[in-house]
Amino acid sequence: MNRIQNKILVLTGIVLFIMAAIWLTLTYYSRQTQEQYNDILQRYLRMNEVTGASQQTITDLNNYLIRPTPEHYEQLEQSKERLRRAKYDVFALRNGDNDFDLTSYTNLIDSLLETANRSMMFQAQMDTEDSNQAFNEATRISRSISDMTLTLLDTELKTYDRFYRGIIERSTELNKLGIWLLLTITFLLLIFAYWFALSITRPVQKLTQAAKELSRGRFDQEIEVSSNDEIAFLAKMFERMRVNINNLITEIQQKAQLEHELQQNKLLLQESRYRSLQSQIHPHFLFNTLDTLSKKAYLEGAEETSDLLASVAGLLRYNLRRLDRSVTLYEEVRVLRQYMDIQSARFADRLRFVEDIDESCLYVQIPGLTLQPIVENAVIHAVEPMEDGGTIVFRIAEDGDRIRVEIADDGPGMPEDKIERVLKGSAQETEGHTTGIGIGNVVQRLRLFYGQDDIIDIESKPRSGTKVVLRLPKVRRYEADDQRTDRG
Amino acid sequence: MRKTIVVLLAAICAVLLYFTSASAYKVFRADWRLPQTPLQESAEYRLVLITQELETPFWDRVGAGAREEAAKHGAMLEIWGSYSNDADEFLKKLEIAIHSRMDGIIVQGLDTDAFKELVKYKAASYGIPVITVANDVPDSLRRTYVGSDQFEAGRTIARQLAADMGQEGTVILLRDNGNAYYQEQRLDGIRSILEAYPGIELQYAETQGSREQVIAAMQDLMNHSPDVQAFIAANANLTAAMVQEIGRRSRVKPYHIYSFDDSPDTLTLLREGLIDGIIEQSPEEMGRISTALMIDWLEGRQIPLKTSGYHTEIRLRKAEDAP
Repeated sequence: MNRIQNKILVLTGIVLFIMAAIWLTLTYYSRQTQEQYNDILQRYLRMNEVTGASQQTITDLNNYLIRPTPEHYEQLEQSKERLRRAKYDVFALRNGDNDFDLTSYTNLIDSLLETANRSMMFQAQMDTEDSNQAFNEATRISRSISDMTLTLLDTELKTYDRFYRGIIERSTELNKLGIWLLLTITFLLLIFAYWFALSITRPVQKLTQAAKELSRGRFDQEIEVSSNDEIAFLAKMFERMRVNINNLITEIQQKAQLEHELQQNKLLLQESRYRSLQSQIHPHFLFNTLDTLSKKAYLEGAEETSDLLASVAGLLRYNLRRLDRSVTLYEEVRVLRQYMDIQSARFADRLRFVEDIDESCLYVQIPGLTLQPIVENAVIHAVEPMEDGGTIVFRIAEDGDRIRVEIADDGPGMPEDKIERVLKGSAQETEGHTTGIGIGNVVQRLRLFYGQDDIIDIESKPRSGTKVVLRLPKVRRYEADDQRTDRG
Repeated sequence: MRKTIVVLLAAICAVLLYFTSASAYKVFRADWRLPQTPLQESAEYRLVLITQELETPFWDRVGAGAREEAAKHGAMLEIWGSYSNDADEFLKKLEIAIHSRMDGIIVQGLDTDAFKELVKYKAASYGIPVITVANDVPDSLRRTYVGSDQFEAGRTIARQLAADMGQEGTVILLRDNGNAYYQEQRLDGIRSILEAYPGIELQYAETQGSREQVIAAMQDLMNHSPDVQAFIAANANLTAAMVQEIGRRSRVKPYHIYSFDDSPDTLTLLREGLIDGIIEQSPEEMGRISTALMIDWLEGRQIPLKTSGYHTEIRLRKAEDAP
């Protein structure tokens, strides 16, 4: 990970490097220039040294000739030595342009030394006149040396004129270079610093934007920061937080949905109870009356009527008691038979009821009063309007992990849209029902009870009857509920 | 927008970098060492040509010839000297040349004791060969002389004069008072021819070198001998002033005027027809031959040199020849 600290270090490093490079170059440059100036000055100084030394030699010679003391002799010898050294120094300055002059120059120095020696020699021989003559000559030579020095300096200036001008031009150019360098570095550093600052602030800005979005409650937008520093790490953490929050919210919404469904279930139950209460007009009085009527009919020998009345009473009792709790399929079948007894009495041979029941399947839990409204529906639509009556086939069979319950009639069938409405649970019809419970109510209760949508199915063709199929799970409802809670 | 900015920044960056690097190149390209003109290894001899009249056309041509010859032999040659016949400066230069131990000295002769002293003793004691050029000083122990035969030059002028003027007449010979050897030679030459013509009368006039003195001398002469028919200037330096003075008195053309040396003055006068003839010398040849002889002598190829000298070509140039 490229950390912000590293970035700052790199920037500092680059700046330092540039500064060091410039410093080194300039130092090298000024050293070279200095050496060059030294070289040039050295040349002039050496030439000047010859003039000085030759004049010194003449002065010392004069002193010696006037008063030939050992000190003066010593001084003279020293200045001659100095002149000789100056000669060697100056000889090193030879080049193609001053070769001629410089050779003459050194020869002049030799002549001066020689003449000085001659003068000393004559002095030693007490030949004052020759000594003076030699001294005069030496003086002239010394003057010539001075002149020649000027000539040489002049030649020097001419030879190196272009060179010196080059130096001046270069120093002007150096100033320009300084300005250009300053501009370039300033420019580059500005751009670099801007880019660098951007690489830090842009992720921060993105993060800020994302935080703003979150604070507005929009949790569905992904946070994306493409940099590779701490900010990116921060953004990743932030993103994880967002996803978590988003998940939690979805869960809460699902729970709310569940609660809503529960509420609806309760409401439906209440509605059922309300409807049953509506029809509960003095139920005990009715039961007792029906019982009395049944006994009376029995005593009077009308056994058939007595049974019928008993069935009605049982049906009513079942209706009133069992609506809000689950019952076994067995009980439902029993009530259904009672109901069919009553209907058989009503329709006589117009109603044909065919049973095909696998007794081993009757332990299954089922909400109360579900089969009876469906059969009642079949009776109302497939038997009642028909002059010849109709046949109702009732089948219970095992079908894998479910129990298959079929209620089929051979009536005129149901239109497609009605089937759909019924399956959606929106059909509300109460016409002619003994129990007052519509098939829509049954469908919803079944679904709520099992927590599954594919419990009920209706197959129907015009003129060839309707078949209602219930596929009841063997697993009970609360077990399924438990499993779902675990999942959440 | 963003693209434009990026392109703009890149352009600025490129421009700045270009100027910076161009400037840096200029600053650092320079050679740090002093430029060294290579030494000429073959330059064995250091020769010097010393004259009293630097930067006159005559001596420039001598110098050119000498340089050419020196370059041919790979010798170094310098031209020293004084301006307008400054004898002290000239002798000083000569002395410096001797003290700087030149390998050879080619010098315009100066007929003075100081000159002879320097050449005879000083140069000899340092072992430096001296060749006189253009003007000879025979008793100075110079190795040899290279230049015109002045005696012959005098004779040529005199012959021409006799031819132009005829057998009779008065001739004024104007000379300066330096008694230079070459001047004497010229006069001797003139005399040697004119002796044969008894009808021609020679008058000598002596003057200092300066213009006023020449004019004064001329006035004096022409007052004394109004019937003069010809003038000969033994020294070219006197010619211009002489012709000017004649011109002030009468027309110049009728007079027969002759001079030596082809200085620019005399050449102009010749072209204008004011003077009738001059002696033309060969300065380049003098420079060339003297240098060649010096190098020959130094290399020991030509020993001894002719003491009488090596004469270069002279020609009489008449007014009608002038372009």
